[in-house]
Amino acid sequence: MIVAFRENVEGVLLACKELIDHPDIVLISAKDRDEVKAKMEFSGPDDITLLGFRGAADTTGIVRVLFGRQAQKIFRRDPDIEGYISLVLRHRSSRPVELVRFLCSCRDNAELLYSGKGAIAKKYYDIMRDVSRSYHRLCMFARPFPVNGVLSVKVDSPHRIGDLFCRWLARKNPDLPVSVIEGDIAWIGNGGHVGLEHFAKIPSSSAGSLEFSSKIDEVDDMWDIYYDSQVIHKRRNKKHAKQLQPKESASMSRMSERDRYKVERGIVSCTLDNFIPEKEV
Amino acid sequence: MTLMERMRVLSEGTKYDSCNQSAVCHAFGPDGRCIQLYKTLMTNACSGECTYCPNRCGRDALRATLSPEEIVRITWSFYRRNTIEGLFLSSGVIGDAERTAEQQLEVARLLRSQGFTGYIHIRVMPGTPKYLLEQIADCANKFGVNAETTSSVNYSEICPNFDYQSDVLQRLQWTRDLIKIKRREAGFGGRVIGANDTQFVVGALQESDREIIGTVDSFMDRYELRRPYFMSFDPVPSTPLENNDPSPLWREVRLYQTSYLLKDYGLRASDLDPVLDDNGFLFDADPKMLLASCSPEMFPVDINSAGRDALLRVPGIGPVGADRIIRSRPVSSEKELSRMGVVLARARPFIEINGKKQTNLFSFAGVGA
Ligand code: SF4
Repeated sequence: MIVAFRENVEGVLLACKELIDHPDIVLISAKDRDEVKAKMEFSGPDDITLLGFRGAADTTGIVRVLFGRQAQKIFRRDPDIEGYISLVLRHRSSRPVELVRFLCSCRDNAELLYSGKGAIAKKYYDIMRDVSRSYHRLCMFARPFPVNGVLSVKVDSPHRIGDLFCRWLARKNPDLPVSVIEGDIAWIGNGGHVGLEHFAKIPSSSAGSLEFSSKIDEVDDMWDIYYDSQVIHKRRNKKHAKQLQPKESASMSRMSERDRYKVERGIVSCTLDNFIPEKEV
Repeated sequence: MTLMERMRVLSEGTKYDSCNQSAVCHAFGPDGRCIQLYKTLMTNACSGECTYCPNRCGRDALRATLSPEEIVRITWSFYRRNTIEGLFLSSGVIGDAERTAEQQLEVARLLRSQGFTGYIHIRVMPGTPKYLLEQIADCANKFGVNAETTSSVNYSEICPNFDYQSDVLQRLQWTRDLIKIKRREAGFGGRVIGANDTQFVVGALQESDREIIGTVDSFMDRYELRRPYFMSFDPVPSTPLENNDPSPLWREVRLYQTSYLLKDYGLRASDLDPVLDDNGFLFDADPKMLLASCSPEMFPVDINSAGRDALLRVPGIGPVGADRIIRSRPVSSEKELSRMGVVLARARPFIEINGKKQTNLFSFAGVGA
């Protein structure tokens, strides 16, 4: 039997359950039904079961069945199992079918997912951490700016985390529409303010035409002044600061780029006034 | 003065305060410290006369004030651009503690009434009335008063306008009680309620590290203090302490390390005696490493069989690392430990894996076995 599951948390968990009940099934994964169709055309007609393409499944219940009741409580700093799967699926080199088989191999022992023991466990743990790091970096250093009153930001991550970041930004700014542009897609959060669904996906070419208000924003200069005011010059620690504000942060926004420059070069205390002889001041 | 100039002056007044909101840091200064919050004083025109403080009244200094509306506007602007997670609001004393707290409360209320869901931390003045603390607790995620020092006698020497027992310790107790109530209140808007915290000025007086550590320990018991903050004394011109020596920065760092040992490792102040000199001062060395070196009979610890307490005694293994080790047993290599966040360079002389020692204390110290 062929089972096609959707490449999302529900699809993966449903596929795990199916694989445990029927170890002989052939698994294929797809982003949507069209992709299933395309893949099936390739392999010829066959009986196929679709998982995760319809309605919501009780993912927490499936996690409990697969990994036991305590599974959600063990991992203090890492995401829970659903979070783990969601992050892994966003990585450019994740293989959903392999992931399903790996999850099944960790049945009743969720610790294995996080232990990094064995090549596959290490691979997926690293993948999960990689995506999680990219997402946190985005939350740290991306600086949206208002375009027609819509908080907008372009993200350029190797992983598919635009929607995740958009939800985070929308939660922070519930009274404003937010737009996160990821390639040719724009994720819109709090879309109700601009006549869209609460959370919507539109072509990035349409994002610029959304309009909420037209207030002018002067925050860049203000931020520079604030940033400079917080530095304790005596405690300059270039190496440490460079680790924390890494090079990649500079590509995430103009503001982070300037912050990164100051980390690298320090903050100049000399201004144009220093070049004017004192009597002229 | 323009808004920008006032903002700069008042933000500089809080640069020694640490953000510690422990969510998302948005920027790091060239000194490596994170910037998570918009930190500002409401005013630096203070009516207090603390002997170490650049804002004390009567001192010739540039004075500035931001109105509650201005602070709210700046906070929103930074927040919208994802440069901060919230606001840290402190102040000089505006006439008296009550008036100051009223103004601080107004900022918090304005923000919340405008739908601000970010983090608000208010550093209240010693002597803030209880009814205002209660109202602040309704809007802020965190609030607290600075203890500055370890005893009434010391306090009266550096902060002559306030009383240690009633203006500070009493407030620490009220804060503890209010935090408990707020945490109990079901569904408090999903808002995070931070733990009690306070700050000490280190080196303005002759008090020893033993006294400071003892005070922190007792505050953790009595006021459920989570984190103490330490600010190194740096003499400010035109203040009574202008001719005193600055406190070395490493002392602040070592005090932070001992506070982690108290909070995260469950040690008591008396357990730290071995890391203090005869006069009760810390050495410029990692206190955990010193403690471990003083008790060679406790090591090496076997990674695969030791209990959590024994693992925690190993330098380079923290609470998270210890939990990861226990979860992932059996551990078969250093590489695995390193992946769990163990700092091997520090831990190596104190551990063994399946009966195999990694190195010994003598070779670690370069003495040769
Ligand atoms: S009350 Fe605060 S601002 Fe005023 S002098 Fe004392 S320490 Fe400085």
